[in-house]
Amino acid sequence: MKRLAILLLALALPGLAAATDYTVQPGTSTLGFSSTFQGETFQGHFGQWNAAISYDPANLAASKFDVTVQLASVETGDSDRDSALPGEAFFDVAKYPQAHFVTTGFRKNGNQVIADGTLTLRGVSKPVSLQVGFAPQGSGATLDVSGAVQRLDFGVGSGEYADTSVIGAEVKITAHLQLAAK
Amino acid sequence: MSLRNNDRQWGAVSKFFHWIIALAIIGNGIFGLMMDLAGSPMRKINWLALHKSIGLTVLALVLLRIVWRAFDRRPPDEPMPRWQALAAHAMHAVLYVVILAIPLSGWWFNSVTGKPLQWFKQFNLPALAEKNDALRHFAHGVHEYLFWFLVLLLLAHVGGALKHHVFDNDNVLRRMLPFGRLRTNPPEGDRR
Repeated sequence: MKRLAILLLALALPGLAAATDYTVQPGTSTLGFSSTFQGETFQGHFGQWNAAISYDPANLAASKFDVTVQLASVETGDSDRDSALPGEAFFDVAKYPQAHFVTTGFRKNGNQVIADGTLTLRGVSKPVSLQVGFAPQGSGATLDVSGAVQRLDFGVGSGEYADTSVIGAEVKITAHLQLAAK
Repeated sequence: MSLRNNDRQWGAVSKFFHWIIALAIIGNGIFGLMMDLAGSPMRKINWLALHKSIGLTVLALVLLRIVWRAFDRRPPDEPMPRWQALAAHAMHAVLYVVILAIPLSGWWFNSVTGKPLQWFKQFNLPALAEKNDALRHFAHGVHEYLFWFLVLLLLAHVGGALKHHVFDNDNVLRRMLPFGRLRTNPPEGDRR
């Protein structure tokens, strides 16, 4: 019984050594993406999203990202596209107003930290891996995250919009977060 | 039929440019007016992409045609009153300007709407102007009314050619027709 207690304690300890919890500074943080339309790259971003960030580069096991995006807040600099994206064929915000990304673990690839997680978008959950760049800054930090998803994995741009010779298959995701320690 | 123009008729290259540009610009004009019939947004995107690709092709052909015209001596005018020759030449000059202006105005319209410009999904072309929503409607009007202006010019151009063919019995139309055979003898009643 005593051994079991020690074992449980030993297993729990890394979790107890908590990573720092950060709040995201909304004004200077961006969550964006880019893809192509008719051979031209376009940039988009989301105006409304929340991220719960716990991160410690020395304790990746205790680190966690949990991001929720209000898909209706998408803007891409083109009124036709901005009115189409929330619609049923793309994000279908009437049925799936939010996208959600939560990490399942962190690993190192050389010096590069990779956040493995699950992205839930348009009712589909798929594993997504993001590159993490973390730079402490005073009591806070900057966090730069990038990765790529295949839009059709999530049914974004379904039906006749599935033609990837017109609308690119790959969507690059980039986020720049200004973090303040809680 | 030789490739180059000769003293009596247009050569194969000039005829090719004339008729392929005529077909493409009239067909693409009608196609352009049909865009709102596409039904679904994606079909409209694809129709517009095709319309733009054909339009860019017309622009390239017109530019090549002007270069060819500069280097290949045109056949002298058929016998006709001086005022008719002057009117025909003025009409041809305006036609050249308009068939250049129509694709260029389409390119400009596309630019102010901020849309990509791709040629048959092969390569992209730059914008001619900054995106400007305030100019969108105006640029569309310029592009569309230039086509209607071309239709008016065509009525005069085709009317003139038919008048020469039917009433003057000369070679004005025949020497531009594909595989057209020239009248060899001077027509009756035209002994100048």
